[in-house]
Amino acid sequence: MSTGDTTVRSGASSAPVAVRAWNGIIAFFVLVLRTNTGRIGLAVVTVHVVLALIGPWITPFPPTEYHIQDQYSSPNSTYWLGTDEKGRDVFSRVLAGARSIIWIATAGTILGVTLGTIVGVTSGYLGGRVDQVIMRIVDWFLAIPSLLLAILVINMATQRLPNVDESIIIIGIIGISFMPNNSRVIRSATLAVKPLEFVQSARLRGEPTLYIMFREVLPNVLPVVGVEATIRLSFALLLTAGLGFLGLGVQPPEPDWGKMVSENAIILDVAPLASLAPGIAMASLVVGINLLADGIRQAQNLPETGDR
Amino acid sequence: MTQALQQDAPLMQVEDLAVTFYSPNGTFRAVRDASLEIARGEVLGLVGESGCGKSTVAFAMMGYLPGTAEVEGAVRFEGVDITSLSTSELMELRGNRIAMVYQDPVTSLNPSMRVGPQVEEVLLQHLDIDSDTARARSVELFESVGLPAANRIGRRYPHELSGGQQQRVVIAMALACDPHLLIMDEPTTGLDVTTEATILDLIVELKDRVNAGILFVSHNLGVIARVADRVAVMYAGEIVEQAPVRELFKNPSHPYTAGLLSCVPQPPGDDGVERQLSSIPGTVFDAQTEQSAECLFAPRCPLAQESCTTQAPPLVGTGDGHLSRCFFHADVKADIWGEALARVEKPREQDAEPVLNVNGLRKFYGGGRKKYILFGPPVNPPVRALMDMDMRIGSGRTVGIVGESGSGKSTAARAIVGLEPKDRGDLQLHGDDLEGNVHDRTEDQRSAMRMVFQNPTASLNPKLPVGHAIVRALRKFAGLNKQESNERAEELMEAVGLDPTFLERQPTELSGGQQQRVALASAFAANPDLVVADEAVSALDVSVQAQVLNLLEDHQRETGNSYVFITHDLGVVRYISDDILVLYAGHVAEYGPSKAVLSAPSHPYTEALLSAAPVPDPDAEPTHIRLEGSVPTLRGAFSGCFFAGRCPRKIGDICDTTPPPTQTGPSGDNHFINCHIPISELESLQRADSGEPTLAG
Repeated sequence: MSTGDTTVRSGASSAPVAVRAWNGIIAFFVLVLRTNTGRIGLAVVTVHVVLALIGPWITPFPPTEYHIQDQYSSPNSTYWLGTDEKGRDVFSRVLAGARSIIWIATAGTILGVTLGTIVGVTSGYLGGRVDQVIMRIVDWFLAIPSLLLAILVINMATQRLPNVDESIIIIGIIGISFMPNNSRVIRSATLAVKPLEFVQSARLRGEPTLYIMFREVLPNVLPVVGVEATIRLSFALLLTAGLGFLGLGVQPPEPDWGKMVSENAIILDVAPLASLAPGIAMASLVVGINLLADGIRQAQNLPETGDR
Repeated sequence: MTQALQQDAPLMQVEDLAVTFYSPNGTFRAVRDASLEIARGEVLGLVGESGCGKSTVAFAMMGYLPGTAEVEGAVRFEGVDITSLSTSELMELRGNRIAMVYQDPVTSLNPSMRVGPQVEEVLLQHLDIDSDTARARSVELFESVGLPAANRIGRRYPHELSGGQQQRVVIAMALACDPHLLIMDEPTTGLDVTTEATILDLIVELKDRVNAGILFVSHNLGVIARVADRVAVMYAGEIVEQAPVRELFKNPSHPYTAGLLSCVPQPPGDDGVERQLSSIPGTVFDAQTEQSAECLFAPRCPLAQESCTTQAPPLVGTGDGHLSRCFFHADVKADIWGEALARVEKPREQDAEPVLNVNGLRKFYGGGRKKYILFGPPVNPPVRALMDMDMRIGSGRTVGIVGESGSGKSTAARAIVGLEPKDRGDLQLHGDDLEGNVHDRTEDQRSAMRMVFQNPTASLNPKLPVGHAIVRALRKFAGLNKQESNERAEELMEAVGLDPTFLERQPTELSGGQQQRVALASAFAANPDLVVADEAVSALDVSVQAQVLNLLEDHQRETGNSYVFITHDLGVVRYISDDILVLYAGHVAEYGPSKAVLSAPSHPYTEALLSAAPVPDPDAEPTHIRLEGSVPTLRGAFSGCFFAGRCPRKIGDICDTTPPPTQTGPSGDNHFINCHIPISELESLQRADSGEPTLAG
């Protein structure tokens, strides 16, 4: 077992950096697939992502097309999930809604985790006064509820920056509101790595501080970053959907899961699927991501080779 | 419980034990073939390097193996096969008839419970007594393991006790129900030398007093020689040799045992010539390999023949209860691991250029906060981590810094290399002043002074290839380009005895010894003048430790670099150092040439350290100087001697009121002892007390 791994790895290490990184990612996902939660989570998420990506080609109708004769239709062979009060195809709208929510939540999470990682590694590695100051600022950020911040910013932005796309604003809000929590987690992971001997010997080599932070320390906190990002992603989805529900998300007539749930809630008794379908889609995606996060966490505890 | 006791059955009998762990990462054969017996009143020492399966054997005797383990063979306790017992029957046995003492007393005791109730708990669980009787019995137990104020100590929490006292509580707990079998798994490994000596004394004394069989698991031959009656040596999951203790040390009949014995730094022989260490080539056997018909030690064995690779040797008797798993046991001699070579003499210190001068180096920790904002006395006086250390390192020489944990030896290393900026004092490299912080030093100064750390696993970045640190050092210090530094890195890897292809591997694929060699290669990368080695061999197995020590010596002979070698192991420091500096609680107790420091007259603390160090010779007379307690943390200003609290030779009030003067030893002007007792008196006291020769001979 270990000899097999060794040959694979030393073969890979002579390849260019990009190929090595790619092989590492693949190897890691193989590990994730060895956990039960990882398998289920990855399957659910993959289904969602694939459907979102190929959505425009498989949707039977344009998501904004009205079918006035077919309002409140039950699921049938034409409208797989029925229609809403304006006769729009629910299935097409759910698929189209997946695109925007997955894009916004993912981009927002990546922004937030990137900011948080930079702040966390810097604060944790430098320590002392710098750490104190950064962490107090982070505390201050933490004190603002993210939904409140979102409502405030969106209201201001729509008045003052009418030309900026809502999705960009929401991505920015997710990024800013996720940074504090994330930076605290990354900071504590950094604190665990900082006293290790290889960091000390980098200091003794006289390496620049930035080099130590991002070349020596960062790769060792990346596993934590990965888990954090996956957990955060489900929060980002919920936040995006919540904003949509409040009417602050993607503007109509573009479909948005949160918006669909709220606007179709009043016709729950005639066309229940119109609001239930996006809700179920949302729930399954969040559960899938949480399972995947669990799988990633478990996979990190599995040793890569049998030696250690 | 006792109804099944068959009087004629041996206390513990392990027959053809094999333990295999199954995991998603493959099969791990921890124990392949172990058979042993323990009689009542006997101490069986089980010795071997890490991964040899010795702890698994100990756990198998308790029936403690997890469900993923497949156990073959029989483990019979008083005639009953442990492997066939149910969980509740095992519960009845454990702690009652069979008791265990673990390595780390800190994790063996519940930190949120007073130690008395923890012992009483065991008694109430297994014996039919009321709580008052249990309390009285626990006091007796505390007394029997030599704890002070036995009737009050039960009210303490574990953290209020020293490491040695904690281990005594654990032993008291193990003895609570008068067990028939006591299993001790590395019971002194986590302790300081002086504490270890007192615990070993206790175990030797218990052996005579308690009529129990004891299995004593250890990697340390010196400790085994002190306590064991018989010894079993394990390698790669097999017992390769078993013999009475004297027989094993005097007349080993398996090449592995002979090799282990020649790896341990020994005092010089009667002719006063120091011997070079032998080392066992290669690495410890990989437990994942399938069993096949061969001798598992053959790849590392100097006696191996054709037949060793085609047939597995059986365990055969060689007389007097001596068993050996070797075809050629008759050929095993002390010199099969190479002639003991006399070591090459080094130039005298007077001839050597000073590389590093340390003057009054001082480092305090904490204590900055004042009682009132900016005013008043400090709330916590600072800890005196290192107090006014002077040292001078000549070119091509090695200074050893010895001390127990908390002595400030690591602080000294870190202050010298600049990881912890010094508070006061001068550091001079080749006569030029050094800044306190490594960041402020020049590139040349950084490249001239490198460091090797204790933990080989953490010395290499687990997420970067093995060669990373070496290549970076070469590019920074030697100014080589990528191509050149890769080539030079390959040369360096060969110089430390590793395959150059290892450069591309991940650190986790290397063993501890290999990782430490890589760390050395990266330290040697830019031909440094001085390498500070902080416990660089402490985490390694003896056979690998000898390899690394020899590597350090060879490198010094070739390039003339100097070492500051920091260790708690007196055997190692005596072997490698030209000068020795003994630290206690941040203060220098003694400093001078090795021979002078290790022979009388010595500072009383050095004397106690020497007296406590276990010697791998069962005939060595047990020495008598013992220190109670542990190294204190000295805070703030105080008058008197730093060692007064534990000194066995304290002469009176002067020790508490006046700091000790620095006296020059009789042998020359480079030997300093910080003590109130006049040198001549120290010498006569120590010569009179020690009938036996000191470590330096």
